[in-house]
Parts: sequence; structure tokens; C-alpha cells
Amino acid sequence: MYKKSKLEKIILGIVTFLVFAFFMIPIYWLVITSFKYGRDAFTLPPQWIFFPATLHNYTDALQNSKSLMYIKNSLIVTSLTTVLSLALGVPAGYAIARTKWKLLNSSSFFFLILLMVPPTATLIPYYLIMRDLHLLGSYWALILLNTAFDASFVVWMMRSYFKDVPIEMEEAALVDGASHFTAFFRIALPLSVPGIISSALYCIIYSWNDFIFALMLTSPKTKTIPLGILSSFSAVDVSWGQMTTLSVLAIIPAVIISLFLNRYFVQGLTMGATKG
Amino acid sequence: MINQYTAKYRRFMMGEGAYFWLLLPVFIFVAAIAIYPLLFSLGISLFEYRLTDPDQVKTFIGLANYVKAFNDPVILESFQSTFLFVIGTVVIEISFGLGLALLLTAENIVSQFIRSFLLLPMALPPLVIGLVWKALYNVDWGIIPFYAKMLGLNLGHGPLAQPGWALPAVILVDIWEWTPLLMFIFLAGIKSLPIEPYEAAVVDGASRWKSFIYLTLPLLKPTFLVAILLRTMQSFKVFDIIYATTAGGPGLETTVLNFQIYKVGMIFFDMGYASALANILLFIVVILAVIYVLVLERQQL
Repeated sequence: MYKKSKLEKIILGIVTFLVFAFFMIPIYWLVITSFKYGRDAFTLPPQWIFFPATLHNYTDALQNSKSLMYIKNSLIVTSLTTVLSLALGVPAGYAIARTKWKLLNSSSFFFLILLMVPPTATLIPYYLIMRDLHLLGSYWALILLNTAFDASFVVWMMRSYFKDVPIEMEEAALVDGASHFTAFFRIALPLSVPGIISSALYCIIYSWNDFIFALMLTSPKTKTIPLGILSSFSAVDVSWGQMTTLSVLAIIPAVIISLFLNRYFVQGLTMGATKG
Repeated sequence: MINQYTAKYRRFMMGEGAYFWLLLPVFIFVAAIAIYPLLFSLGISLFEYRLTDPDQVKTFIGLANYVKAFNDPVILESFQSTFLFVIGTVVIEISFGLGLALLLTAENIVSQFIRSFLLLPMALPPLVIGLVWKALYNVDWGIIPFYAKMLGLNLGHGPLAQPGWALPAVILVDIWEWTPLLMFIFLAGIKSLPIEPYEAAVVDGASRWKSFIYLTLPLLKPTFLVAILLRTMQSFKVFDIIYATTAGGPGLETTVLNFQIYKVGMIFFDMGYASALANILLFIVVILAVIYVLVLERQQL
């Protein structure tokens, strides 16, 4: 509608570049540092492009049984949390989107409010309860608490998704004598695969990135990657190689999801955040 | 008679009642894992209960923990830090987020490319974000003090250790992490704006600046409301980046309430007091959440 002058275009181009640089430099720094030798990592002025590169941080990390254990633990917690959250959340989101029962309908807000609860508020009593059940330090203590929050998110998100899935095919099936369960499993579920993928990505991100729950609920044997990263500090000398390598491993899901699956990711952002 | 009941039962299982059954498992689960602990915490907050105490006696002290909280200078200071942190992050992130959305609103390859990269900060583990920034801020070999010195700015003991600098430094980390989210929220808002008022404005000869002030901003009011509430609630809960960068220091400058609760509960093991503090934070956030829900509900109509 409005034409931009040449000068304006140049200024906007420079601003765009600066913005991009601001957001990318910390990530770039992390990635290149993981490929540097210890002695080069902290020379000043920093070597941004040309430096002697090495893979030894990675080979060290992948030969270290502790690093492998952190990775294994993170994979266990993330996969079980995601599966459980979807199994609990998707049917519930469907039910809320379709029911004519007012009370069930507004229960979606209960899940939304729950999502906002500060982790520390549940964590302190939860810690005491798990201690009394002798579950502290087990995978389940971590998975169950992560699932409570992630499933609430899935309910909220899938409700919005199912509302946009046309209801006519389900109604036709109901007229033909199918039960509501059949309508859900056979018709609505296959149509909602993109929404489920999107929900799954969020569960993966949340549980993979979780730090505060893992900090208080894990034992040395069930520590996840974020705690592994921290423990490379608590050693006598700080192992920056291990820290940056584990950090790069820790950001892999985020990178894949942001750059290659961003269609699903953005859908969730705007759906979970702004749409009622 | 029996037939009548089975028919009714069948209707409940298969008809509208099916929705109830699909919803029940998650309700039971969430009630057991999340709601029960919250009620449990209301109970403990009325007791003097320290895990460091060898006998771990629980003594009922009524509301004394809550009274103590409002007279505890550490807590009052952490309220202040929290307040500054929340105001600082929300105001700056909202303005930058809107600016970014306007900057990258075009549907060309460059904007799309940059937008997908801007998803990264909010998808990264917050702990990693905190540790990376801690390294960038490091006074001996961090790049930020290095380049600051080249520009003639002396950061003293490094931004994270210098009183007066630590809070802005941590706020900057939060801005880095969350501004893109606000950009996406505003982008969604801008995309849903009606085009007619703008056409009318062009016909009337309004400048671009005027149509932004008198059309875009007022039309985006619902988006602003949602964005402010959402970010305020998230900002109250900040923990990972504080833990990774300053651990609450220097002094108590960056000890936000959420971090203080962690310290009282998980370092001093004063469970009664920590629960009381957690309930105060919970109360603030739930009030915001209820307002948020009411806003969303009204926008749906």
C-alpha cells in the first residue's frame, strides 16, 4: 500500500541483520566452542570463523559412560512423558471440543490455569510426597510430574485443534449408529494428526528442557542432560569441552523442531497462546 | 426394568456420556499429581517443619509462616527484585516483539528464513541459555566485557557480579529468550487485522505513522492484553536462567521470589515456610491466570 524509499529499505535491512545477529550469536558461540580445543576456547579476541577445529570434545563425551547415561535418562523421561501426555490429553481435548455439557466445556480453563502454576508451588509438596512413597530419584517421580503439566497443555491445544475439525463427518457416523468412541477413534483422530504432531513436539521440548523438576527429583543415576551439563561445572576444574558438547546435544531437538518442523511449532505457539 | 437401566447405561456410555469418559483419566491424573500436592502444601504451610531437624517434628503454628513472610526483609527484597524483573522483561519484550513483528511481517524468503531461526531461543533449554550467557558475560574471557572494553565501557567485575548491573544483565537474557515469542503472537495479531480501515486511511491521505498509531495499535489491543498477561505470568516463574547465571547474587539483587522459595525449601529445607511462600506466589499467578481466562473467553464471543 505504501511504497518504501531506497534509504528506508537499506536501514530496515541493516536493522534486520542486527536483530538476526543478536539472536544467533550466543547459539553460534556455543556450537563453535564445542569444536574448539580447550586452549583456543577462551582466547581474546575471540576466533569467530577460523580456528583449529576438533571433534575430540564429542568423542570424549560419547566415550564417557556418564554422558551416555544422561542422554539415556533424558530419552527415557522425554519419550514416556510424551506418550503419556498424548494418551491422556488428546481424548480429553476432543471431549471438551465436542461436548454440549457446559461444565465439561469450561473445564478447559481449569487446565489452562494449571499450566500457569509456578513449578515451585507443586514441587515442594510433591517432593515430600515422593519421599514418603520412596519414589524420589526414580524415573517415575519425574515423568509423572512432567506429564501432569504437559497433558494439561495437550488438552488445551487439542481442544482448539478439534474445534477447527469439521464435525459433519462425525455426525454422519453417529446417525449411522456409530458410538461417540468410534467417531473419535475412527474419524476425528485420523483428521487431527497435524495437531497431535504439534502437541507431541511441545511435550518433547518441555520435558527435554526441564531443569527444575529434574534438579530436585533425580538421583545420580537418573540425572538428565541439563543436570549433566551442570555437573561438568561442579568437578574440580570446569570442563568447558564437556559442558558445550552436552549443551549442543541438549539443543538438538530444539534445532530440529525450529528449523525443520517449524510449521507445527508455530501452529502451537499461536494456538496455545492467543486463541481461546 | 433391567432393560430400562441397561438402555440408560448404554446411552451414558455411548452418548454424550462418552465425552465424560474420555475426559475422566486426565482429570484423575492431574488431580492426583498436581492438585493434591497443592492442597497438601496449604496444609504444610501452617506448620513449622524442617527436614534438617533430626526428629522432623511438625508443629502447628497457624498463619505464622505467612505473617513472617511479610516481615522478612529478605522476602521483601525478593518481592522488589521480582517486581523489577517482571516489569523490565514484560515492557521491553512487548515493545521489541511488536517491533520485530512489524519488521518481519512480509511473506518473502528472507523474513521466513529469519523467523524460523527466531524460534530457536524459546525452544532451547533455559539452563543452557543461562550458562551460555554466563560464559559470554565472563569478566576474564567473555566476549561481552571484551567488546565493551573496546567501546570504552568498563564492566568492572563483569555484569553478573557488579551490583546494579546484574539485574539488567539477567533481564537481557530473558529478553533474548522470550522476545521472539511475542513477535509470533503479534504476527498472528497483525495477520488477522481487517484491511478495510487501512484502505480508507490511504484514501483519506493518512501517513503510515498515523495509520499505525490510530489503526494498528487500537486494533491490536486484544493481542496486547493477552501478550502482557501471558508474559507476566511466565516472568513471575523465572528460575533456570537465574540459577545458571547469578544464583540470586550479587547480594540479593537477582533473588526473585521463585528462586528464594527454592532456596528456603531445597537448600535450607524449611518446608513449612517454603510452602507458605510458594502459596503466596501461587496466589498472585492464579489471580493473573483467572484474568487471562476471562480475557480469552470474552475475545471468543
